[in-house]
Amino acid sequence: MQEHIQLTQKEINRDLLSGVLKSPKWWLPAVLVLLVVFLIGAAAFGYLLNKGLGVTGLNRPVMWGVYLVSFVFWIGISHAGIMISAILRLTQAEWRRPVTRAAEVLTVFSLIAALLSAPLVHEGRPWRAGFPIPWIMPWDFARGIWPNIRSPFVWDPSAILTYLTASSLFIYVALIPDLAILRDRLSGWKSGFYSVLSLGWRGSPRQWKLQAVAGILLSALVLPVFVSVHSIVSWDFAVNIGAEGWHSTIFAPYFIIGAIHSGVAAVATVMVAMVWLWGWDRYLRPDHFDAIGRLLIVVGTTWFFFFFLEFVFAMYTLEGPELAMRDLQVFQYPWSILFVVFLITAFFFPVPMWLLKNVRRSMFWMFVTTLSVNVGMWLERFIIIIPGLLRRQPLVFDWGTYHPSIIEILMVAATFAWVLLGLLIFARIFPLIPLFDIKEGMVGREEIKIGRRKVAASIRE
Amino acid sequence: MRSGSADDGHTAVSGPVEVSRDLLERTRPASRLFWWAAGGSAALLALGVIGFVIRLGDGIEKTDPWGYYAALVAFLLTTAQAAPMVAIAPRLAKAHWRRPISRAAEIFGVVGVLNLILFIPLVWVLPDLGDGRRSLWFFGEVRSMPAHMPHIVTTISMTALAVVGCALLWVSSLPDLASIRDNSGGRRRRIFAKLANGWHGTSRQWFTQYHRLGILGAFYFMMLVFTHFAFSVEFGMSLVPGWIDALFPATHAANSLQAGVATVLVVMFLLRRFCGFGDYIELDQFWGLGKLLFALSLLWFWFWFSSFIILWYGKKPNEEAVLDLMMVGPYMPAFVTAFVLNFVAPLFMMVWNPVRKSIWGPTLVATGVLIGTLFDRIRIYVSAYTVAGAEDKHEMHLPLPPANLPDLADVLLWVGALGGVALVYLMSTRVIPVINIWEQKEALLYKIHKPFHRTEVLVLGKKD
Repeated sequence: MQEHIQLTQKEINRDLLSGVLKSPKWWLPAVLVLLVVFLIGAAAFGYLLNKGLGVTGLNRPVMWGVYLVSFVFWIGISHAGIMISAILRLTQAEWRRPVTRAAEVLTVFSLIAALLSAPLVHEGRPWRAGFPIPWIMPWDFARGIWPNIRSPFVWDPSAILTYLTASSLFIYVALIPDLAILRDRLSGWKSGFYSVLSLGWRGSPRQWKLQAVAGILLSALVLPVFVSVHSIVSWDFAVNIGAEGWHSTIFAPYFIIGAIHSGVAAVATVMVAMVWLWGWDRYLRPDHFDAIGRLLIVVGTTWFFFFFLEFVFAMYTLEGPELAMRDLQVFQYPWSILFVVFLITAFFFPVPMWLLKNVRRSMFWMFVTTLSVNVGMWLERFIIIIPGLLRRQPLVFDWGTYHPSIIEILMVAATFAWVLLGLLIFARIFPLIPLFDIKEGMVGREEIKIGRRKVAASIRE
Repeated sequence: MRSGSADDGHTAVSGPVEVSRDLLERTRPASRLFWWAAGGSAALLALGVIGFVIRLGDGIEKTDPWGYYAALVAFLLTTAQAAPMVAIAPRLAKAHWRRPISRAAEIFGVVGVLNLILFIPLVWVLPDLGDGRRSLWFFGEVRSMPAHMPHIVTTISMTALAVVGCALLWVSSLPDLASIRDNSGGRRRRIFAKLANGWHGTSRQWFTQYHRLGILGAFYFMMLVFTHFAFSVEFGMSLVPGWIDALFPATHAANSLQAGVATVLVVMFLLRRFCGFGDYIELDQFWGLGKLLFALSLLWFWFWFSSFIILWYGKKPNEEAVLDLMMVGPYMPAFVTAFVLNFVAPLFMMVWNPVRKSIWGPTLVATGVLIGTLFDRIRIYVSAYTVAGAEDKHEMHLPLPPANLPDLADVLLWVGALGGVALVYLMSTRVIPVINIWEQKEALLYKIHKPFHRTEVLVLGKKD
């Protein structure tokens, strides 16, 4: 049954601005803990810069380790924002309203975490990675040094920076009406701060029209960027014919659907956290979890189909090195354990659970199952990247080994701390649930009586 | 009584009683145009039978004469058998605009039976696993597998798809069949009483109806994807030495969603233009499906490019040979036609609001997509069947065989099969109303118009 709570504009303002106008008690300790974890990771990065990549667990032939795993993982999580915001906005799904901004913010901080994970620490001479970026920009052209456009070093940053720009713009455009509310409620320098950001918003019909058009246009324009980013990340692997298990045509769709699976699951996790931490249970109702649970069943099953195709066609090649790599992945310790854990946590545990309505409408179970998906999806990237590089083939002289070092572990942990820190700080400065969207939803909400039942309805223009 | 305006895209016939009366009336007398169309389709089908006899005269030992026949089965699997998805997906998403067109889409489920019959000769043409080619049954390399596993599994999946398609149509039609029963007499009443299977519209029956439709719809989708997987690999990819493309089955299935939408769009136009269903099939339906067609056309490109970039960039000899065979070699004209009609034309036409939000725009693009799909299936299957007999089963060697052009038998077979599809569809509409009566009436319950400030708005309800 769909249950809605009709709230007044005053109540909405009071509830949703509470996180901005005053700090919850847990906020500062949480920020401090995350900051410490982040700084430890930054110190590890400083040590790496000083000593070189030798301090990591990376060695020939396994030159890509958990940095790359983390990179692909965060790119995946970043797909949540656009999936939830753009697609659901274009399809006019009503349940998107309280979820969109948190998803978009997750996108931005995940993208930065992805940039921190690999390109800045992993690609050699990172001190030259500031402006100008030698891998991308033709800054050395006077000496005839141009970036190699056939290299993923150029593809990835171009795609990710475009996506980051588009996503930031996406958040900003949707924030403007809420910034104006904050401007009008605060005084002094705070009012000035929000006044500058709100770009003179007064809520005139023309401004609303432009805002709606900008939202729709950005939604439509950002979708190709969203698809291109993870396609390009997948092609970093798939265009390579040297590593076993990577040269597969299915990688782009497989990575995209995997990214949506992990991204949407992450949004659901954040939704539960929003209810538990800020008490927004009047906005994030069981209906919303039910809807995202249904979406996750479809996405998760499609992801599994692509995983199945990827695996089946690795066998279909009947090539010795490919079969040897799959044997390593599935049957040899410790990869076999990781493989089983990956399958259970990414698919066999959460998806059947979501088939149960009670699970979909339970915040606890949604938290557990969606967290499980992301454990599984992190492992998925791990067992794609590392066994592919181990080269456990008949020529044993080429065999590799890999154990992540403490430096790598600290830096990966720092990316998690960064994303959580970003979300908490954002929520302290800007409303994490869009006020205007919620109010619009309340205005457009209706009920239709059919016989003895009342059915939830909404106004369509 | 009919109201004049229907800018919300829902039926312009105003009340449930009027909807029932209007749509039931249309099931009785068949117009002269109908019988002309049915007669013409039957004549074409007869030509197809002649084409089949000619083709059979070539024997089944060599594969290349059967390339166009395989492409025909693949084309019907891609277009007609995907059409019911236009009813299934929006129904699961509770989109109201699908209501007037869901039955027109579901009737294509019956075409699955025709395609199953057409598929049978292909089972004999496909070599068994003893010829050493690759197969999904790769375990044959390490342990003994029956040599006809591809034949058995694909036949089972084609059969299941046809059966589920018919079951979906029947279940969806039960309330309408009961309406016809209750509004007829004599023999017609007895026939429809049997078909309606005791439907009386009790609360329990409706509860079961919604669940059945959901389960059958989901099952049809899964069977469709699996059938594309089995057919595209065993009757296409595995015949081409060195062709390893993990994305191909998914591409085949995704293309079918695009072609299925295109098929329904063309049928919607015909129903509106020639059968007088303009009060039901309106701009909203064309707009809804047009958006879907646009999105699926972009998906067509993305799937194609995702395969192409990997094969092209890798520069492995077997992969370059596959690209030569199907894209830049003898079948380049077919590939270019498919590329233009399935991606370029939809992109540059449907990106414009006035085209997307019109009746002629999506219909024109859909017609192009169907022609493009036809060429796409030809370039895949005809080329595959010309190299199927190569000595080396794991790498293609140059020179490639020249393009296999259709002969008289191929033309007759294609024309006959399309005539057969039209005939099956037309005759099905004699039994089952082509517009879903109960869904139309249900739509009237879920929408109200009400004043809102200085304007009037449409309020749409959504079921739990």
